[in-house]
Amino acid sequence: MSSELIVDELTGRASAGSIAVTAEGGTVTTNLQQGLAKFWVHFNGTGTIATQDSFNQSALTDNGTGEYTSTFSNNMNNNSYSTQVTGAESGSEGISNQIGTLQRNGDYSTSQVESNGFHANSNADADNQRMMVNVLGDLA
Amino acid sequence: MASVLKVNTLTGVTTAGSIVVTGEGNSTTTNLQQGLAKAWMNFNGTGTVAIGDSLNTTSLTDNATGDYTITIANDMAATTYVCSYESNPDNANVALGGWLMGTFCASGSSGAPLTKTATAIRSVTRDIQGSSRDAAQPGIIFHGDLA
Repeated sequence: MSSELIVDELTGRASAGSIAVTAEGGTVTTNLQQGLAKFWVHFNGTGTIATQDSFNQSALTDNGTGEYTSTFSNNMNNNSYSTQVTGAESGSEGISNQIGTLQRNGDYSTSQVESNGFHANSNADADNQRMMVNVLGDLA
Repeated sequence: MASVLKVNTLTGVTTAGSIVVTGEGNSTTTNLQQGLAKAWMNFNGTGTVAIGDSLNTTSLTDNATGDYTITIANDMAATTYVCSYESNPDNANVALGGWLMGTFCASGSSGAPLTKTATAIRSVTRDIQGSSRDAAQPGIIFHGDLA
């Protein structure tokens, strides 16, 4: 018989921010909080930029061609979090070899992260239609 | 009234390593364990390499310029896990495009076999011209089943 737990919130008992989860192999455990993405966003970085969907983002700012700032709602604990950025060009009107990456010399702080659309062939910033950013790390 | 569950460890009843969670749309379920990242790392790959923050890793090895091995603590169940390695800005080399592409060793920088095991993965960062370069702040994430 399966068991079902109906609950709104999970909190560690010994340490509020730490819950172990038995892993797939049934032997070792992994950490629930540290395994969860703490921020993600999918936005259109062309024209008037627009967030398509997001988690833990309070603002998205257009800093110029291909340059964007995502501000977190709940801050990270440190600036050593792990970030992934992916970008894609503007559909049939786009140019090839556009990528998404972290902003060169950009802000990488506990409250925000800067991402960058870039065209490799022309070695220049470029607006990306699809920009996706996700962050793993510790919340403050 | 919201209910709060205080617990140290979550374990599946039917299968220890499998707990379903109702999804955001309130209709389908997803799997708690399989949705969790099993390891991640942020590190400084320049000079004397150093781990910034991480989950489930034991070491970071500097093999050569832009060539690193990340070793995890609790092994993955197989070598078919998904691993994402972030392309990284190269602040000092704007003339070369100013970014580094993160990828994984297909044959190793010196012809060594591919290193993607249940215990470790070898990654490289290259500039726009294909030359290996040290990266200041790469991010790497593992998704898949733990052993």
